[in-house]
Amino acid sequence: MDLNNLTIKSFHEALKNGGIKSLDVVKSFFDRIKKEDGKINSFLSLLEEKAFAQAEKVDLDVAAGKEIGILAGVPLAIKDNILIEGTRATAASRILENYVSAYDASVIKKLKKAGAVFLGKTNMDEFAMGASTENSAFGVTHNPFDLERVAGGSSGGSAASVAAGFALGALGSDTGGSIRQPAAFCGVVGIKPTYGRVSRFGLMAMASSLDQIGSFAKTAEDAELIFDAIRGADPLDSTSVEENYFPEKDFKKIKELRIGLPKEYFIEGLDDEVRNGMDEAVAKLKSLGFKFKEISLPHTKYAISTYYIVVPAEVSANLARFDGIRYSSPFRLKDNGQANLKDIYFKSRGEGFGAEVRRRILLGTFVLSAGYYDAYYAKAQKVRRLIQDDFKNAFKEVDVIMTPVTPTVAFKIGEKADDLLAMYLSDIFTATLNLAGLPGISMPVKKYELGGKELPVGFQLIGRHFREADIFGVGKVYEKE
Amino acid sequence: MLTKKDLEKLAELARLDLKKGEEDKLLKNLGSVLDYFEELKNLDTEKIEPLTGATESSNVFREDSEEQSLEKGRTIEAFPENSGGYLKVPPVFE
Repeated sequence: MDLNNLTIKSFHEALKNGGIKSLDVVKSFFDRIKKEDGKINSFLSLLEEKAFAQAEKVDLDVAAGKEIGILAGVPLAIKDNILIEGTRATAASRILENYVSAYDASVIKKLKKAGAVFLGKTNMDEFAMGASTENSAFGVTHNPFDLERVAGGSSGGSAASVAAGFALGALGSDTGGSIRQPAAFCGVVGIKPTYGRVSRFGLMAMASSLDQIGSFAKTAEDAELIFDAIRGADPLDSTSVEENYFPEKDFKKIKELRIGLPKEYFIEGLDDEVRNGMDEAVAKLKSLGFKFKEISLPHTKYAISTYYIVVPAEVSANLARFDGIRYSSPFRLKDNGQANLKDIYFKSRGEGFGAEVRRRILLGTFVLSAGYYDAYYAKAQKVRRLIQDDFKNAFKEVDVIMTPVTPTVAFKIGEKADDLLAMYLSDIFTATLNLAGLPGISMPVKKYELGGKELPVGFQLIGRHFREADIFGVGKVYEKE
Repeated sequence: MLTKKDLEKLAELARLDLKKGEEDKLLKNLGSVLDYFEELKNLDTEKIEPLTGATESSNVFREDSEEQSLEKGRTIEAFPENSGGYLKVPPVFE
């Protein structure tokens, strides 16, 4: 079975025709994971027994002639900050090393209903804080295209698992690029939906005004199928809203969408590989009939400052719940008989959180503290408005905005470990969307071969609020024609 | 400029034990990021309304109805230390 070229779409067709069985495919994926993931480290835990049971159930349904949904029996990987009942969920943090979730996230409930199979939980930067998966407490994820390089982050394990052919699709979360950047580094498709499009109930909150769950797959078509299954309002996440989703099937109509290229995103410091990749993608879209226009998003350069004020502020509040008493803790009362409550807090958090999480908690505590609030957090919220207004104005002229996903291709492991600001600046093209609440998709410029010399380059398509259909549409035209 | 004393105060507020020798690196890291934030000062935002969320939804209400929730035992098991259906914590009053 050619797992590398198997897509959700082709899997579904073959499953319906009786050409393949879900259980066989799931077993092949596990064989491959066990053989090859030792050097990639994309999974933190595997869910073999449950996966076999679910795959068998789908096979029985097919054999019985029952109607099955498009995601039935489809093997997926799930980022470890999304809860699956009865399963370990660590968010790649020591403080949650032994935490087992008592319930399903809403997206997991929906995928279970759709009949999907969960292969395992994927590696990530601790609590989704990072852009390289180097901040995982359980070891870095290696890029399947070059093991000396990062897979990106924070959803590095999800992106790498799809790129390496360990799963047909994956879920990730994206607060400032955590789906799109690793997708670009690993040559797969990744979508961050509009803020409010997908319920975050059961996703460990990082920065609540920015967090969003989205999907990875080999094609835009597949990523859209997962997106379509998880979207929708949920009473358990009051920021989620019910908006219709009508994918556009007529390629001729999609080609009428006007695409904007913001000049602020094509700056010095862009790698040659990225610049060439962008040129190639733009040329292809032009040849397919798309019209392009240069636009301006003048406040782009303030996005990183804004983002890294808003995020730590919200992090410092959200991570207060990890007090060593609830969930799990590396600090045990029985080993520390004389400990008081304060000891538990300080020791659990001090030992349980890694360096980047500690930095953000401290930074967030600082920007929210008396005397600094107005200069930082209040100021950032105003700049956030300016950044959103930039997009509003741009969308008067164009329907879709196209940009690079990252200034560079996947960097070497350890390369940016000591330069915090350089690491933060790598979010420059992706974090703006989260600040504005817009949907964005990362598309690989072409099909990259594992073991080849080239490192993947991606491009980003940004749509209006709740217009995922536009960016999926352009993506599908791009990959099919 | 963030000082060592500031840092200790922040760690106290955040209930976070700092590691030995970690302070200097933290001060350098946080200092470089705070310096970078200075660019925002040049931007005139006097008349701009703050944007507090990615989409501006208003209050969302639902019926206050009875629903099946998690079994009590299941959530207590998820606590690191528990005993007889209760959570175990050290004495709060000394």
